[in-house]
Amino acid sequence: MDKTAQTTIPRRDPATVMRLSRLGSLHQCRLSFMRVLTRRLAEENWSFARPVFDVDDKGVGHAVYTAQGPERTYSLVAFAHDLPPEMRSDRVIATAWDATFTLFDGVPTEADIERLSQNVPLQEVGRVTDSEISVSRANRSVRLWEHFVESLAAGHQPDAEKADAVGYLMRTTAVYGSGKLGAADREKIADRPEMLVPFQAEMLSVFLTRWFVRDLVNHMARVRGGDEAVELSPEMATRLGIGNSTGLGMAPFIVNHPILFNNWIMVREEAIARVRSIETASAEDANAFRNIFDRSKLSMSWWRSEHPAQIKKLAELNNDLALISGYLGQDDLMRDHPWDRLIRWSETALSEEGQELVASLVLEPYGDLVDGLASCMADTNARAQVIKGAMPISDVRSLIQQGFDWALDLDWNAPENCARAWYVSEEKLEPRLGERFDEPIADYEQPLAPARDAVLAYKALADWVDEAPIAEFLMRHPEHRHTVRRAQMADIAPYGEIRDNTISASVLPIDMLRAKLAFFGATHFDPRSDRWVRICMYSGAPYPDELTGENADLWVYPEVLP
Amino acid sequence: MNLSLNEIEAIAKRAARGAGYEWGVAEEAGKATRWLCAQGLDGATELARLLQREFPVTLEQHVPSELNDKWAGEEALCPLMTGATLSDHADIRHPGPLELQHVAVPLLLLPFVANMAFARNNSITMTMDGCTAVTDGTRLSCPDCDNAHADHVVIAVGGVLENTRPCHTRAHPDPAAWQVLTSFAHRTYAPATEESRLLGAGAGLSDND
Repeated sequence: MDKTAQTTIPRRDPATVMRLSRLGSLHQCRLSFMRVLTRRLAEENWSFARPVFDVDDKGVGHAVYTAQGPERTYSLVAFAHDLPPEMRSDRVIATAWDATFTLFDGVPTEADIERLSQNVPLQEVGRVTDSEISVSRANRSVRLWEHFVESLAAGHQPDAEKADAVGYLMRTTAVYGSGKLGAADREKIADRPEMLVPFQAEMLSVFLTRWFVRDLVNHMARVRGGDEAVELSPEMATRLGIGNSTGLGMAPFIVNHPILFNNWIMVREEAIARVRSIETASAEDANAFRNIFDRSKLSMSWWRSEHPAQIKKLAELNNDLALISGYLGQDDLMRDHPWDRLIRWSETALSEEGQELVASLVLEPYGDLVDGLASCMADTNARAQVIKGAMPISDVRSLIQQGFDWALDLDWNAPENCARAWYVSEEKLEPRLGERFDEPIADYEQPLAPARDAVLAYKALADWVDEAPIAEFLMRHPEHRHTVRRAQMADIAPYGEIRDNTISASVLPIDMLRAKLAFFGATHFDPRSDRWVRICMYSGAPYPDELTGENADLWVYPEVLP
Repeated sequence: MNLSLNEIEAIAKRAARGAGYEWGVAEEAGKATRWLCAQGLDGATELARLLQREFPVTLEQHVPSELNDKWAGEEALCPLMTGATLSDHADIRHPGPLELQHVAVPLLLLPFVANMAFARNNSITMTMDGCTAVTDGTRLSCPDCDNAHADHVVIAVGGVLENTRPCHTRAHPDPAAWQVLTSFAHRTYAPATEESRLLGAGAGLSDND
């Protein structure tokens, strides 16, 4: 790809990278999907418009926001609702929301809007078509929304501290893509350059949603305050992101898409290896890193959580930040593989939060070495699902050993090692995690414990001769078919498997959620229990109509005022 | 009905699991149903037909007893189990023709035959009693045939793709078949209980703030 893209330092070992506690400590980086999107929109000079904003004095109506690129236009169709407070819930089982959205492929006609108005507000109960790419919904932050409307209506800006304490006026509670609810399959858009990187449609939808939310709060303030009202200031608007409440659905996603997840992790590891392999850094690159680190520190100082696990991690991270500052005071970051030395030092001195922050930040000065890798993050290998029946049993055995050597000696019958079971509730098909020995759920268990299943298959393989093809084994043991399929994928996806027990009594599903959300580019992870987490997206980003080459990338790091 | 192929695959996988197939076989059912729908065939109807026969209760009677040149089971062959075996043996079996006796819902074998064609990098012809299909893995030539059962299925390397079916990006399943799949899929969902509702997904801090 690039003449300087040779690595002398290998990628980190999957056995290190794929532990849950480390995945649960990942941070956004240059390869995060939001930043990939805003860089592209700016580079290609996309234009944005709001052809429709038809919302009444009660805040009910619809609006259309368009994003026009070199080849295609996408439109966010937003529906605003008057939601009774008692119906407001972030859970999948909610049935009404403050606002609902769809990302339309093209520019919708009035007939399209009419059709969508009958379906999008219903979310899972409605149907969309292959003209729609995503379907989503959002709820207001009750704390902040009223304060904003009241302040702006009275003619002054809202309180900045209150705004920072929450970070957003609305949070999305689900963004459905890939054919859900009748929308277009991923295949319809996968070959478009602007959709090649994963989740670009969803990220675009949220980017436009943030714009709609700003317009809606200004509108509601004008309705209440009339001539007294003022517009939300650009500074305040920029600090606001879009919140997101993420539940257990994301955890099955990363287990069920081992090649896709591998590609995200492997690309980031490749990027880290490339930067570590740099022998000497210029003063400019070293300064760029110092600058980003200072800005990152400021962002971290705004990160709050009430969850005990995250409070502890934040304390460790703050300690790490001080240690990193100390290191940077003593090293010019220019000689003798400066980034590799920094990473190796971090492994001895910092918590996993700090280590992963450093690993993400070292990529920042090297966009030319790193950014092109984003195109390798999609899963384009549909044939990998097909079992290679001729593979000798010895090969399957060693693939299982490779990914699950840590699990082979675990006592999988011990209650603490199989305490949990993942299941889908008949209640709106909400994905849930329960206590195997306390609840009647074992019969409904989803195959989301790859390690346990790998060990079962490994034991069943013990009596088979090395040379026999796996096809013979599978004829007798269809119960291990899903495990053999995964094992074979590991051959091309070394980072596809989580190296921890996903059904243990102590598993923290939020670690899986955070790993995925970090790749989206989320910040300020705020777990609300061990099973759901709130985050902020696009905080600090320019609004679509403000996007330029200068502000399209590093917005995630707030400017440090002198 | 107008569904995305992803929806078809998801419901087919859940339905097969609900009918009692192992997860790995249910995954095959999902992919196979999707493949048929992408060829403009009603994969949902074919799968519904199969699941209603409830083979998983006595599955060992519905798989080939011996892998010679004439595959047969004690009872009608299950196309998912037999298809998976065909696909798994694509690189192992000698290339000569293979005969299968008494196959239930034989169209469901086609996606697996397509896997074989891919593996062998050659087109393959499958004859189901009087109905002949040819595939190279991606494309398919096959008349609209509607066999709940075939006494004889012959699979042979070679064949010319003529009048290949147009590729479909949406599925239009028969509503009755869709209903059958939905009710099989429902067997995989845990009943709603208050405890599950409170603890299974959320709990913790308020979500209305």
